[in-house]
Amino acid sequence: MAEDTWKNYKEKKHNKPLPLKGLRVLEVCTLVLGPSGPGFLSRMGAEVIKCEMPPLGDTLRSLVPFGYWFREQCTSFFRPNPNKYWLGLDLHKPEGQKLFLELAAKADIIEENQRPGVMERWNVGYRQIREINPGIIYISKTGFGQWGRYARENRPSNDGAAQAFSGYAWMSSFPGQRPLKSRLYICDSYGAIMGEVAVLAALHYRDRTGKGQFIELSQSESIMRTMSWVWPYQHITGKGAMPAGNRDISICPADTFRCADDTFLALAAPRPEEFKGLCIAMGRPELAEDPRFKDHLTRLQEENASEILGIIAEWVRTKAPEEIEALAEKHGFSASHLFTIKDVMEDKHFRERTFVTQVDDPLLGEFLDYEFPVMMSGTPPRVNWTIRPVGFDNEYIMKHRLGKSEEEIRQLYECGALGKWADMRGRRPSSDWDGNAGLIMSRD
Amino acid sequence: MADIDDQAWDEWVRQRDDPKIAANQPEALDDITVLDLSYNSFAGCYCSSMLAEFGAEVLRVEPTEGDFIRTCTPYGVLYKGEGLNYLSEGRNKFHITLNLEQAEAREILKGLAAQADVLIETYRPGAMDDWGVGYEELRIINPRLIFASITAHGQFGPVSLKGLSDYDNIIQARSASQYDTGEILPEGKSYDEYPWAIPTKAGPWIGWVESGTHMAVGIMAALHWREMTGEGQALDVASEEAYASIEDWAAIWYQGAGVVNERFGSLNTAGWLYCFAPTRDGAVFLGGLRLEMWQAFADMVGKWDEWETASWKDLTPFMEKEGQLKWAALVFAETRKYTNQELVDMSVEYARKGRLAPITPVVAPVCSPQEAMQDANWLDRGIFTPIEDPVYGKLVVAQAQHKMTETPIRTKWVCRPIGYDNEYIYLKFMGFGPHRLKELKAAGII
Repeated sequence: MAEDTWKNYKEKKHNKPLPLKGLRVLEVCTLVLGPSGPGFLSRMGAEVIKCEMPPLGDTLRSLVPFGYWFREQCTSFFRPNPNKYWLGLDLHKPEGQKLFLELAAKADIIEENQRPGVMERWNVGYRQIREINPGIIYISKTGFGQWGRYARENRPSNDGAAQAFSGYAWMSSFPGQRPLKSRLYICDSYGAIMGEVAVLAALHYRDRTGKGQFIELSQSESIMRTMSWVWPYQHITGKGAMPAGNRDISICPADTFRCADDTFLALAAPRPEEFKGLCIAMGRPELAEDPRFKDHLTRLQEENASEILGIIAEWVRTKAPEEIEALAEKHGFSASHLFTIKDVMEDKHFRERTFVTQVDDPLLGEFLDYEFPVMMSGTPPRVNWTIRPVGFDNEYIMKHRLGKSEEEIRQLYECGALGKWADMRGRRPSSDWDGNAGLIMSRD
Repeated sequence: MADIDDQAWDEWVRQRDDPKIAANQPEALDDITVLDLSYNSFAGCYCSSMLAEFGAEVLRVEPTEGDFIRTCTPYGVLYKGEGLNYLSEGRNKFHITLNLEQAEAREILKGLAAQADVLIETYRPGAMDDWGVGYEELRIINPRLIFASITAHGQFGPVSLKGLSDYDNIIQARSASQYDTGEILPEGKSYDEYPWAIPTKAGPWIGWVESGTHMAVGIMAALHWREMTGEGQALDVASEEAYASIEDWAAIWYQGAGVVNERFGSLNTAGWLYCFAPTRDGAVFLGGLRLEMWQAFADMVGKWDEWETASWKDLTPFMEKEGQLKWAALVFAETRKYTNQELVDMSVEYARKGRLAPITPVVAPVCSPQEAMQDANWLDRGIFTPIEDPVYGKLVVAQAQHKMTETPIRTKWVCRPIGYDNEYIYLKFMGFGPHRLKELKAAGII
């Protein structure tokens, strides 16, 4: 039984191996699209070395909500960057490039999100790396890919640009209103997970053949892939797809409704037994047999959909969200109030599953983070530690990955190939740091 | 240091990863067989598409009347009898039917599972166990099997026992990112006056898609582990967790400061310059998350001196709520003077000749999907290349979303009607010839 498979998942999580154990990943990434991909792999046990340009490092280190810093660190920096090793490496310097090549010779995967051609100018592009490591899987993640007009024009991009370019924002708005940007960095996060689909498929191919390859990913193209019906609809009808606010125009009923207390509730009940349950809950069982609503395809037609959604809206407007949720459970359809971030963080179910998980970090103390949302019975992914100042693990990486001596390391600092954090918020350790905690090389 | 080819990088890459040559390349997953049993779940269909695009042999197993998800189509529109969402995610899959309500069908399923590498299912937790084909049973038949379950709330935990259905709009509602996406309700106004200034979900099925894509990544990580050790395992994705997990800062903000993140329109609570701005003929996205890019924007619209741009030290004053609202008004007054195209051209030009060149702000037109589908850049990159499907004819679905030099994805066919591949697949895997198949059909099993 499933209970046996998942029994004690929470308790045994750390008593099991990690699926990507032994894989070595090099990251030359900033913001969210780039670092999130290696962040998924590091949660599954890959050893990810995050290379940052010292002393400022990742641009994301500055971006905080309305000026709020969490324990003197960047609030936005945690999610993409757990379990990583932190290298302050200047790739403008020939000595820095040489170090990178030494690491690349031992790596399985390289991930970068500089503009096209930049890595090659630094002598660490795919064509240079494959000469020394033909098995390398090398992914470049940008707004527009490596070729084509926008890439050639060297346009910068980010999440919001992809939301705009793809039509995603347009489709996520109310009809007749101005297009709305998602408050998530959705095209960054989605591009990142789509990139790992390609990376892990390439890994499977390499497991079989020993061959590496180059992958290019565009965040706009990734998000367009998610928009399913929009493209065949436009191709077949010649008409442009139009936004529909909170209404799901492919499922009926599925919409967000306003409750008596002016809060909002999402509801879905398309399947025959679900729709019937909803009609009974509304005290209108006859609607389930109404020829306009009985069959899903007929119910989805504009006129019928508007009619039934109007009836549901009137009903919900008189009820509290918890009343509807209770009725949904009783009558077998789906309904939920809109979760706030507080609801997510305090949800008992998420805690029980350890999706919302407690991290005990030597530098930043205890806090709650999200686990990689694939529970694996044999090899559970997990967050063990979190973000670090720029160049925090330089010594460890130099000694244990490259076998450098104290003298060699001193010279690497001297020529500027290696560096550490600037004395700036989001870069340096928090003020209560004892100079020791979290350093892998330190004793006690 | 190795010499590199004289050929320009973009040309070198294109020669090796243009989707036009994908059909001649090897496929990364063509040694893998997947059973996709998903029912009423676009997440399951999308997940198996990710694998099918890489050449996995995906057997899409539906009940004899077909999957309800086929009827989930905009405005009830069908094309050649098929719903448009399903039409986009039937790609490269063999479609067979099997009525799992019957015991004999479940024996057939065991036979298929014994020969498969991956099984994807989306039934309520416990349903597969009740049928005697849960993970604990199937692992005895096939210890190498990767058994992947996608549901609304996962396989364990208090809510999962309720066995609720998994719908995209419910996933979005429970992720917190519908609550805090949307236009701000003007002070003193009500929802009756501004019915669109409310929490707003994404139009596309992004909740389902995130869930399916995360599972595809989990499956391939499990495949790698199996290559190393020979061991299969069970995987569990709760759709609401997959979508909630991509949130970047609100969870940390809440636990540190007790602040519940609220809607902020098309501005960005956690960064500046980063917003949609109105123009003479629509809107553009503006991005400049580094001080220099924001300065370049000010310079680009001729405000270098008036805004005392040279004296700006860092982004801090612009990131506070009041600062954002004040500066947004000033920025919008400028962008309203231009068309989308003019602003895009100005930013490209600025990258060449501006005071801070090559630094330039990100400027992107807010496009309708119709404009996106006509954009020469995407057409050139093969995203909307029509597919010649043997059943449905010439059709456009989004494809080629990433490009690879050795094992690129490809779309071989877009979809198949219910049970289209019964003869081939049951013969290949179970040795059922025409006679046996006829019997099974008559018994309502296939």
